[in-house]
Amino acid sequence: MPRVEVNEQACTGCGVCVDTCPTDVLRLDPQEKAFPAYPTDCQGCFVCQWDCAYGAIRVLVNG
Amino acid sequence: MAVRLETDVLVIGGGIAGAFAAYRAREAGARVLLVDRSYFGRSGCSALASGVYPAYMPGDDKDAWMRAFGGPLVNQPLVARSLPVMHEHVLLMDRWGVNWVKEGRKIVRMGAPGRSFANGVWMAEGGPQMMMAVRSGVVGSGVEVLNRVALTELLTSDGRLPTAGRVVGAAGFHTRTGEVHEIVAKATVVCTGPYKFPYPWPGSTLGYMPVDLSGDGIAMMMRAGAELSRLELGGINLNPDNALSAPGLESLMPSGAKWVDQDGRRFLEDYDPKRMEMTQRALLYFAIAHQKELGRVPSMDLREVSPERMQLIRRVIPIVVNNQEAMVGDLTETPVPYTYQVAGTSGIFGAGARVTERGETTVPGLYAAGTCTDMTYLPGGNLPFCSVTGDWTGRAVGAAVGSVEPPQPPAEQVERVTGQVLEPLQRRDGVAFEPVHRRLGELLMEKVGLVLHADRLDAALDELRDIREHEVPRLTAGNPHELAKVWGLTQYMQVLEATLRAYRYRTESRVAFIREDYPIIDNVNWVKMVVVKQENGALRLWDEPLPESWHDPHPVRPTQNLHLVFRNQEAPHAAR
Ligand SMILES: Cc1cc2nc3c(=O)[nH]c(=O)nc-3n(C[C@H](O)[C@H](O)[C@H](O)COP(=O)(O)OP(=O)(O)OC[C@H]3O[C@@H](n4cnc5c(N)ncnc54)[C@H](O)[C@@H]3O)c2cc1C
Ligand code: SF4
Ligand code: SF4
Repeated sequence: MPRVEVNEQACTGCGVCVDTCPTDVLRLDPQEKAFPAYPTDCQGCFVCQWDCAYGAIRVLVNG
Repeated sequence: MAVRLETDVLVIGGGIAGAFAAYRAREAGARVLLVDRSYFGRSGCSALASGVYPAYMPGDDKDAWMRAFGGPLVNQPLVARSLPVMHEHVLLMDRWGVNWVKEGRKIVRMGAPGRSFANGVWMAEGGPQMMMAVRSGVVGSGVEVLNRVALTELLTSDGRLPTAGRVVGAAGFHTRTGEVHEIVAKATVVCTGPYKFPYPWPGSTLGYMPVDLSGDGIAMMMRAGAELSRLELGGINLNPDNALSAPGLESLMPSGAKWVDQDGRRFLEDYDPKRMEMTQRALLYFAIAHQKELGRVPSMDLREVSPERMQLIRRVIPIVVNNQEAMVGDLTETPVPYTYQVAGTSGIFGAGARVTERGETTVPGLYAAGTCTDMTYLPGGNLPFCSVTGDWTGRAVGAAVGSVEPPQPPAEQVERVTGQVLEPLQRRDGVAFEPVHRRLGELLMEKVGLVLHADRLDAALDELRDIREHEVPRLTAGNPHELAKVWGLTQYMQVLEATLRAYRYRTESRVAFIREDYPIIDNVNWVKMVVVKQENGALRLWDEPLPESWHDPHPVRPTQNLHLVFRNQEAPHAAR
């Protein structure tokens, strides 16, 4: 299963990945950090990783 | 309270077809609202496409184009007319910032798989960059965009489905807030892309990304009374045999990539020894599926691809390369095993509403473009053919809406439809998404498969009817995100039923459509259009001949004698 990993130190909570994830996997938590709210819907497409300007999110295809 | 919006033109779906339709309609002066269930620029096939735009460019050999794209079900004179539009689109997208591979300022031509000549224009950063650039061009032209709204039903002037009046907009819900949306429009353009089993589980043969295209628009158009066609022609779709990864490495075939089996043997020797990797696409797909049936491991071997080309491909199809390297390691050392996807999909070829060149469906006020249409006139759902149909449709709609009065859907229909949208959220004791999803996926793998047979199709249709009647009306969703998946599955099931019926109807095999019980490649009876329409709650199917003018300048060869070999019959088959 593909999986995403957020580096909470690096995440600024800008919300870009939350906007652009094609399958609506991501949300911001109460601390304004991105997290996979619907992890099983991740298709491993790398969109979030490319769209994050802070290098805070990483896609593990074979997680 | 529902959010109520009004516009001249409603475009449903923001892939490349929707983008061009919206842009051209806006250019003609219409107010345009583009609604996407996901995020315009990041969603659909278009944004995940590998970076080849197989476009005609001035100086190309037109005859070679016609030979390559003028198949038996294609309106060849129209293909000829689409060619200059593709070139126009390359230039327009260049202005929008699409990063074409260039030498100096010149856009470079490169080969595409299954083509005998270099007909591709490549994107240096693949589909993701292309669609974000297209998005900025379209938004810059004044098209309004609404993201994360999944439309579920069309609205009609007489309040009926199917309608005897016209389509006057659509309704649906926001996939995060759950807010119901009612959008009233003078014309509605459906561009919701191809369909397949939504959310396939990794390791299955149920498909690859994008995982969320469930044929919503096709189901909506069918309920509104539109005629559908080409549903049986999805054909064989290839993808690497791991994760959910998509096709794309095949674009290296003109650059030294080879098909091998687990022993390193180039199995295309058995199928098309003359052309090998440059064989036609449909035959290649068949060869790979056939190898799988024989228990072989067809794989893409990139060891002879030059380092420069590998470097380029890493940029052009970053999703696929990233995915594959995570799974098998260095692609230049280990061949990548491939598999096929089960039937029950329109693949990337496109199928759906029967449309004219202007994108008109058989229902007034309802237009469609791209891979959710039959594109009867064009050979298949790749990016240029989608942008061209979007373009033509957008121009036609933009010109048509000037004379249409602002419509008003009947209040009862709006109330009924908007009530239905949220029902799965409100059901207390029903059935959850997962078991129904699982049952449908297993039905596809076990009863439909890739090689089709009437008995298995009938069994699949029976079970499908059972799921549709007893489980779908009881599906529950815990939140708007799950609601989107429930609606996707519901829409897909209707399109699947129509597709299985169309498979059943056609009794000729052809390389990408394989009937075990009709193993004859029959180009005589093949040349027709199978049409499906919902009438009085049931599906009606019929076929129509194709006009002779379609096959000018390349007439169809009347062959009727080629046999395909199935299952464990170890013999080179005769599809040469
Ligand atoms: C992985 C992959 C790689 C490919 N590579 C290439 C390539 O290199 N070159 C090439 O020419 N072709 C390629 N193709 C084929 C090509 O990408 C498609 O044929 C083309 O992009 C289809 O465009 P479209 O606009 O018809 O649909 P899509 O791009 O799929 O757009 C459909 C849109 O509709 C939206 N939508 C769906 N349902 C709803 C709803 N209910 N409400 C609102 N919105 C909705 C979706 O979110 C999506 O944005 C590839 C296809 C795939 C899958
Ligand atoms: S990899 Fe794709 S699907 Fe998965 S979270 Fe990132 S953007 Fe979403
Ligand atoms: S794009 Fe990056 S920084 Fe912004 S919310 Fe997502 S992970 Fe955090």
